[in-house]
Formats: sequence, structure tokens, C-alpha cells
Amino acid sequence: MTERDPSKGPAPRDDGAVDRQRQSRDLHRLEHGGGDSFPAGYRVAGLDESTRPDPGAPAVSTAQRGATGRKTSTGQSQAVRQRRRTWANRLLGLVGILLFLGIWELLPLLGIVDARYMPPASAAIADLIVKFGDSVFWIAVWDTLRAWAIGMVIAVVSATVLGFIIGSSNFLRKFTNSTIEFMRPVPSVALIPLAVLIFGVGIESALLLIVYASFWQVLIQVLYGVADVDAVAMDTAKSYGLGPMNRIRYVIFPTALPYLMTGVRLAAAVALILAITAQLIIGTPGLGAEIARAQSGGAYTSMYSLVLATGMMGVLINLVTRAVERSVLSWHTSVRSEVK
Amino acid sequence: MTTQPAEHNPVINQGSMADTPDGQLPVGLTLPDGEALLSVRNLKKVYQTDGGGIEAVRNLTFDLPKGELTCLVGPSGSGKTTLLKAISGLLEPTAGEVKLGGKLVTSPPKNMAVVFQEYGRSLYPWMRVRENVELPLKVQGMDKAQRDKVVDDALEAVGLDHVPRSYPWQLSGGMQQRVAIARAVAYQPEVLLMDEPFAAVDAQTRADLEDLVRRVWRQLGVTILFVTHDIDESVYLGSRVVILSSSPTVIQQDIKIDLPDERDQLETRSSQRFSELRHHVYEQIQLAKEGFRPDAAKAQA
Amino acid sequence: MRFLKDFFHIIALPALLIVAWIVWSSQSTSFFVPTLEQMSNAFSSTWTWNRMQSDVFPSVARLIAGLVLSIVIGIVVGLLVGSFRWLRQLMEPTMEFFRAIPPTVLIPVFMLLIGIGDDMKIAVIVLGAVWPILLNTIEGVRSMDEVLSDTSHTYRIDGIARIRYLILPSAMPQIMAGIRQSLSIALILMVISEMFASSAGLGYTIIQFQRSFAIPEMWSGIVVLGLIGVIMSFIFQIVERSVLKWYHGQREMENAG
Repeated sequence: MTERDPSKGPAPRDDGAVDRQRQSRDLHRLEHGGGDSFPAGYRVAGLDESTRPDPGAPAVSTAQRGATGRKTSTGQSQAVRQRRRTWANRLLGLVGILLFLGIWELLPLLGIVDARYMPPASAAIADLIVKFGDSVFWIAVWDTLRAWAIGMVIAVVSATVLGFIIGSSNFLRKFTNSTIEFMRPVPSVALIPLAVLIFGVGIESALLLIVYASFWQVLIQVLYGVADVDAVAMDTAKSYGLGPMNRIRYVIFPTALPYLMTGVRLAAAVALILAITAQLIIGTPGLGAEIARAQSGGAYTSMYSLVLATGMMGVLINLVTRAVERSVLSWHTSVRSEVK
Repeated sequence: MTTQPAEHNPVINQGSMADTPDGQLPVGLTLPDGEALLSVRNLKKVYQTDGGGIEAVRNLTFDLPKGELTCLVGPSGSGKTTLLKAISGLLEPTAGEVKLGGKLVTSPPKNMAVVFQEYGRSLYPWMRVRENVELPLKVQGMDKAQRDKVVDDALEAVGLDHVPRSYPWQLSGGMQQRVAIARAVAYQPEVLLMDEPFAAVDAQTRADLEDLVRRVWRQLGVTILFVTHDIDESVYLGSRVVILSSSPTVIQQDIKIDLPDERDQLETRSSQRFSELRHHVYEQIQLAKEGFRPDAAKAQA
Repeated sequence: MRFLKDFFHIIALPALLIVAWIVWSSQSTSFFVPTLEQMSNAFSSTWTWNRMQSDVFPSVARLIAGLVLSIVIGIVVGLLVGSFRWLRQLMEPTMEFFRAIPPTVLIPVFMLLIGIGDDMKIAVIVLGAVWPILLNTIEGVRSMDEVLSDTSHTYRIDGIARIRYLILPSAMPQIMAGIRQSLSIALILMVISEMFASSAGLGYTIIQFQRSFAIPEMWSGIVVLGLIGVIMSFIFQIVERSVLKWYHGQREMENAG
């Protein structure tokens, strides 16, 4: 049984052959809806998706697949799809938003809901535009962002350091596991009374909640990441005499980085929720406090425009963290694939 | 054909030229109306992309008589999967038609089953082996008692009666492909399409599975269209081999495999005739890979 | 022996922390750190059956109602939107915006629109918790494996059977991931809606203790809230493990290979 694989025939000789090769590759992509031939038996996992990975099952987001050297089956098709996402499709999304705003506009106008309690969309948007020229609004935005950013830095740094320390020791991992699993689901808002008692309405109150909530998101991801380090890579590093610090730097950190980025992205969203919530309930200065004030003062249009503003802030934070994640990881995978 | 040395002497079913909407082209074996089980006529597929159309399949015309095991072989990227998807009604052809039992195929027909190459992705990972085989019958509305019997028989036929409670992903690649074959067998189709089903299993398992396909084919009398890029496999398995050109695909040659019906991995493969046929198909494939076009060649001649 | 070791690992650190607290609190004069005795008194006097009936069970009932509604709405709408490309493209940006709104700001909005009753609190939970489930379901439907989808077509598994045997199970890993995110959002919303606008419920009770400087009672309330979170996550893990048994098994297989 020789020459089982005819595709390993003579190498292409002329430009025509190269052309045909490219053509056949194109064809293959079309036939299979993207992705070149992946290993047999490899199934496109349901979670193999870069945009919304599951915080609890981290080993499956596209980025992490790439980092662990597994071929991402959706990777290429994703890129193709992205290219094909024409303006027409985006237009459809825009139509959706306009449709939503239209319904919102009509609900109070037709008297389906009381216009006092739910002013039409146009009024809220007009109010928001006025706010864009108002320094009080920008101070509130700044307060919110500041609490968010400080909380994130504290949570990410402490969780990363602790995660690497705990993760690199088998004993520590087992020793802390039950405590982490018990503390993690405790809702951070349970700490509100404590925060108020200790810190009052200062920014520290908000920070306590933000840090508590985001800390676990990052810690868990880092622990997963460190646990994912390839045993062979680790043994290789040891056999070449790399010390613990160098092993962390050259083996553990690169493997855990995509997990860390996932953790940061999830933490960013959670941190914003807690920042706004602390302001809403405790009265720490910021957009949340403004919303509470608008609501109790009967400035309902203003309340709606502030809610819109928090949504925009959420979208913006999402976009930025995703962009950061992508750029960090693209650098990361390109470096890694060169090493291979 | 001008390129074939005389001593090979393969029986060419029908490599003759015919008038098609795409000009003078070689066509495969065709039968008079009503005699073919599956008939493919002037099938064409052009994919539309941003950079214009990519013509995958230019023109294919051939018939499958009832009860035959036909192998389609072609160089990689010769549009084999496109062809198969068009035949199975998963893909709408740009032009031409596919008829099964005289009826035009526009969506997956009832009496046809397909076994895909990617066994790991064609079995339901959330169902056990038995449930996987049973599901199409259950959806069809077959009653429980009959279903049980059919499933048992199918599992036994592929040698899997000992693992019905396993999940597919707990099995080896070859075993998983057996499950997929059992599912197809239990579905009791008239036509079974197989898309490079053994391309991803190791050589020894592949030999076993090839014999399994031959056995199932002879026992059940089902008509099989077996797509492969493996020349040995096509010659060993088929009673007929249709060789495809490189893309945009036309039929390069359609030959009869005149090996005895009883085939054996050792004896058949070491026989003189097998070697001749293999040689012939190999040459044709090489020609196809180098860009030889039967349509263009004839135009020059 | 092995069992003892595992047991040690589970119990050692929590025990250490509790002992540290007992020792510290017995020596500390800090107003914020109750002693063991104060805590146990607070627990037995505060969390009586009456209190459970008036403040804890209604809260938990609202939480469960909100979650169940979120799951049903999220999956049904997600299946629908995920099945039609144009619908997905039409609605996705709007839904992404809703998901990005910190859900707690909806509480003042809903207070205005539907008052401060149970229906408001449940509505807030649903409107906050439905997005992760909805968007994950859409993603799960969209990322259906093509070969599996083709296979189902060739075996003519269509209509309801297709949803039941193919689409739903194949999207299930993502749906469960969405539900997991929704659990914590729902719990936050339960507490905050009671803190913001209520005269009963767990959130309200805890805030009242804090306002009246009943420190041990407040701490006990925090612990009760924490316990609810822990129990919820425990139940979810059990359900998830049994629903996605195939998924985890398959992943283990892949990783081992």
C-alpha cells in the first residue's frame, strides 16, 4: 500500500499550478464554511467564540484556544464572516436601534404609558445632549470612571499576584480552594451596609464593592490559566535549568495571559455595575447618585437621559476592553507562533 | 484517451464527449430514462463571493444504476464535497439537476443517507451511541418495537453491539465512524452517500472499514456513492470509478472495475489487475493535478 | 488516608480564619467586630421562623420567579432570534446596549412605571438577568456545527424535532454559561431593589440593622445573604454538571488526547 496519498504528488511547477492551489483552497473554504482541515474528530465546541466566553469554562474561548496551541475551528471562518459583514448588515442593526427608539417615542405619545413617568425618547436624548454641555454631568462621569479605574487596578493587580502565587503551588491551590469557592458567590452588594458603616459616602465605599466583585473574576481566571500550563513545556523549562522566576516569566505567564485578559474583561463590566450601584444606593458621587437624585427630585427626563448615559458608558467600556484584549492577544499569539 | 498506455486496458464505461450547455465535454456513464436510480445532469455550481464567482463544478453528468458501488475520485480541491452536497439536496446547484428515482432533488430526500468525513462532528455528542442511531427513526415516527430491532440489527452489522451505552466521544475514530455507518444503515436508504468517510482514520482501521462497507453493500443491496481522494481505496471498493478533473470540475474518465466480487485486502491488492487499474487511475489523477483539462484537450485535438 | 487529606484541605483554611476571628474579636474593642458570643446571639434572635417567613422567603421567591422567567424568555426569544439572520442583525446592537446598562439603574425607572410591589422587583430581575441568557442562546444557535446541521438535514430531522434534538442541546453549554452570569446579577438586583424601595425583604432588613447600628445583626444578615449566594451556586453546579455531562466528558477527552 504505497502512495496512499496522491495529494503529496509532484510539487507545483508553474504559476498555473500555484493558481490552482489557491483556487482549490478557496473552494475548500467555501465548501466547509471556513477553517482549513482541522484534526479529525475535533468538534467545534459550542463555546468556541471570542465575543462571549463563559467565565466558568474559560478553556474554550477562541483566544485561549489559540494560546494553548489548539486550532480554533471558528477562527478563520470568523474572519471571513467579519469581512463579509457589509454595511448593509450594520444598517440593519441601526434600523433596530431606530425601531426601539421609535417604540419608546410612541408609547408616551399614544398614552400607553404616562408621559410624566416615561417621557418620549426624543426628550431624553435632547436632555442628554444638553447634559453634554454641562460640567456637573462630566464631573459625575469622571467620578464614576475614577472609582471604576481605581477599583479595577486594585482588583486586577492583587488578583493576578495572588493567582500566580496560589496557582503555582499545588498545596496552596488545594488549601485555598474551598474558601475561594465559598467566598466567590457571596454577592458583593451584601457588603453595602459594612461599607457605609466604615467609609460613609466616600469613594472608598464604592471601591470596597468594586474590588470585592472584580477580584474573584480575575483570580478565578488566573487560576485556570496557571493550571492550563502544559506539563511538557514546564518539564522542558526545568530541564533547561530555568529557575522559578524565569518559569513564571517564560512559561506560566504567556499561557495564563489570555485567561487573565478574559478575567479583566469580565471584571470591567462587573466593576461598572458595582460603581453605579454604590452611587445609587450609598450616594457616593457619580452617575448613579445623579440618577437617584433625579428620581427623588421628580426630574424624570433627566433620569432617563442619565440611564442612557450609563448604557453608553457600559458599551464604551466593553469596546475598549475587547480592543485591548484583542491587541494584547494578537501580539501574544504572533510571538508564540514564531517561537514554535 | 491519448495518454493511456495500451497494456492497462481499463474498460472505459463512457468517456465519450457529449454536447452540454458548457460545450463539448466528456460525460460519465448514462442510462436510458427511467433505468437509473440516481441521475446527475449538467450539474454546475458557482460560489458567489465578494471577489466574483468561483466556479467549483463546471459540468457533471453521470448515472448510478441501482445496487452499484461507485467511487468518485479526484485530486484535492476538485469539488467533491460540493458535488456531494448538491446530490444530497443540501446545496442548490447553479445549473443542472439531480434526480433520485425519477424525482428532482431539491431538499434532502427521504431515501438517502449521508456519511460525512468528520465523524466527530456528525454524531450528536449529547446522545449515546444507541440514541444516535435511533434518532432519525424516532423522528420518522417508527414504533418502538420495530425501532429497537432495526437499531440492534444495524449495530450488529457494524460490529458495535457491545457499546450502545457509550457516548460517541468515548470511542475511537474508527468506532465513531462505525456508529455513523450504523445510523445510515438503520435509516434503510436506497442510496448511501459517503464523503471521504475514512480520510481521518488510521490505515489499519481504514482497511477494516473498507471491508465493512463492501459487506454492508452486498448484504443490503444498497446503492453507494463513495467519494474519496484515495486511489487505492477507490479501486479496491468500487465496481466503478469516476475520475474527476481538477476544479472547475468535469468528468475526466469513468471506468469499470473488473475485479472479482469477493475482495480481500491482501489478495486483491496484490493482484495484477488491481495494480493495473490503480496505475491507470493514478496517472489520470496526476494529469488532473497538472491541470490537464479533458474539455480543452479535446478542443485542441 | 486520602479522604482525610482531602478533608483537611477543605476544612483547614476556613477553620483557621474562624479561629483568627474568634481570637481577634475577643481581644479587640472595635465596634465593628462582633465576638463569637454576640454573633451567635444575634443569629438566634434575628433569624427566627417569623423573620424567615416575612423577610427571607418572599425575597427568595421573587428571586426564583425572576430567574425562571429570565431563563424561559431568554431561551425562547434566543432560539427565535438566533434562527433568523436578519432578525439577529436587526436586534443585536439594541440588545448589546441593554446588556451594557448597569442593571441596577433600572430600579428607579421601574419604580416610576410599576410602583414598588413584587411585580416591580421581579420585572427588574428579569430585565437585568435576561440578557446574558438571551445573547448566549443566540450565540449558541448561531455557532451550530455545520456538519451536525447538515447531518440532521439529510436525516430529515426538521421543525420541532430539530429544535429539541439538535439546536437546544447544541446551544446548551452557552445557555448554561449565560444562566451562570444571570444568577449573580439576579441576586444583586434582588438585594438592591429591596434596599432602594421596600419595607420588607432581606435587603431592607440588613440596611435597617446598619441604620440602627445593630452591628452583630447586620453581620448575621451579610452571612445569610452570602449563604444564599453559595447555595444558589451549589445548586447551579449540580444542575449544570448533570445537564452538560456530555460536554464536560467530551472536553476532558479532547484535552487528554
